[in-house]
Amino acid sequence: MANRSGTAQRPNGQTQGKICQFKLVLLGESAVGKSSLVLRFVKGQFHEYQESTIGAAFLTQTICLDDTTVKFEIWDTAGQERYHSLAPMYYRGAQAAIVVYDITNQDTFGRAKTWVKELQRQASPNIVIALAGNKQDLANKRLVEYEEAQTYADENGLLFMETSAKTAMNVNDIFLAIAKKLPKNEQNTGQTGSGQGRRLTEDNPDNKTVMNCCK
Amino acid sequence: MAGSNYSKVDEYGFERPKDFDFKTYDAFMSQYVKVLTRRALRWNNMFGNQRNINFRKNATLKRFVRKGIPTEFRTRCWMTVSGAERIKNSSNLTYQQLKSRSVSSTDEMMDAIKIDLPRTFPDNIFFSGREPLPNMLYNVLATFAHQNSEVGYCQGLSYVAGLILLVTKDEAASFWLLKTLIEQLLPKYYVRTMSGLITDLDVLNELVRKYEPLVQRHIQNIGMPWAMGTTKWFICLYADVLPTETVLRIWDSLFFEGSKILFRVALTLIRLHKAAILQTSDLSELTGVFRNMKNHPRVIDCHSFMKDVFELSGNLSNSTLEKLRITYKKE
Repeated sequence: MANRSGTAQRPNGQTQGKICQFKLVLLGESAVGKSSLVLRFVKGQFHEYQESTIGAAFLTQTICLDDTTVKFEIWDTAGQERYHSLAPMYYRGAQAAIVVYDITNQDTFGRAKTWVKELQRQASPNIVIALAGNKQDLANKRLVEYEEAQTYADENGLLFMETSAKTAMNVNDIFLAIAKKLPKNEQNTGQTGSGQGRRLTEDNPDNKTVMNCCK
Repeated sequence: MAGSNYSKVDEYGFERPKDFDFKTYDAFMSQYVKVLTRRALRWNNMFGNQRNINFRKNATLKRFVRKGIPTEFRTRCWMTVSGAERIKNSSNLTYQQLKSRSVSSTDEMMDAIKIDLPRTFPDNIFFSGREPLPNMLYNVLATFAHQNSEVGYCQGLSYVAGLILLVTKDEAASFWLLKTLIEQLLPKYYVRTMSGLITDLDVLNELVRKYEPLVQRHIQNIGMPWAMGTTKWFICLYADVLPTETVLRIWDSLFFEGSKILFRVALTLIRLHKAAILQTSDLSELTGVFRNMKNHPRVIDCHSFMKDVFELSGNLSNSTLEKLRITYKKE
């Protein structure tokens, strides 16, 4: 899987553009649909009864944006409050985060705000945060108003969309919006956000090649 | 069970995955049925067929248990060697009484349990549709949560209690086994701070550093926190991580010998995958190796795997483990 983007982008050396890799973490209360959003984005699938995530899962997905290939390294986390103590390990060094809540459950919106606050305080200073109001397909049972969340997002400088992992609504779009907002400078090309203590960039002769090749 | 005509569902009700390796499984099973038959005979000779056997915890039984408890003896043997039977007998309240107390509870824990019920083993026929097991699972988890407020309900416990239920099909026995595991046999994995888990993740890192330093360094260089790859190993006690038959063999010894078994299994898994881990060059490949450990032929062959667990993993005693836990304990 790791090679997928690499090989796809290597076949012809003449193409222009660059590859940027970003570490993205998903946070939010249990059962709001974090894993379902990832499954929809990465595999185009949806399971009504998605197994609960214990610990964290890791997936990658690549999208193209003009002349840049953006590779997301996605860290999907467990939602229950007590797993919170493990969360800093996961969001450390993340360049982007999607904080998810369930539009049919007001408590999950409150919890999302707590996550945003924590990220603003503890995570990388330039982290791009998106707020996702998931389960938009259940809008008839809505308990969190769109405007309320939009206002909160505006006040805190967050991207905001209501999404549905079930119908795929806005799922690609929210990742795309994040990709657009992330800085595509040399710092992020060919490097990985997950590389805490990883020194691949110094001794990785491939680095230049990676920067110069795109599909 | 002969030939490659295995049903799509295994004997515990789990649907076999689409990529199920029937060939490897068949090669293992054709040998393992002989082991199972021989073992059943030995247990019958040793303990007879009577219903209320009193297993005495001694070296012979430990050896027997390490080779696997026959299905028909499993509930009874787990109850005795874990101490659950003793805890049940010394409790002032019966399971039914404890259960009736929890029914009236409107604790938010109960909602958390309800949310997880349909998300627990969704591919198991006994946990789908109108089967009684989801309801039994709710009762076991809710009763436990109500009588232990320090733990309450921790995500992951539904897999542990769910698999206990699949084996015992007995709600009360499942409750006592779950209670014994959490309150007696395991460190404080499931409490609100998850302090026992965080300590044991550090202990695992230290043990890997000691026994497989190259692997430890490689994982650190790639940047995978142990919590990412192995939280589920400790929290779910390998349920929903390794093949069911392998998990039950691990649990046989876990109930008898305690939590050191979890580390012995972890070290064995890491040793079996040493070359594969060292070949990975990024996080995606590395997490892939961890995710696919359940498909390793040696892991599917639970009998050989358990031999490795007791031979390969060195002399990890409970006292060594306790010392390490004190060293890495965080307050």
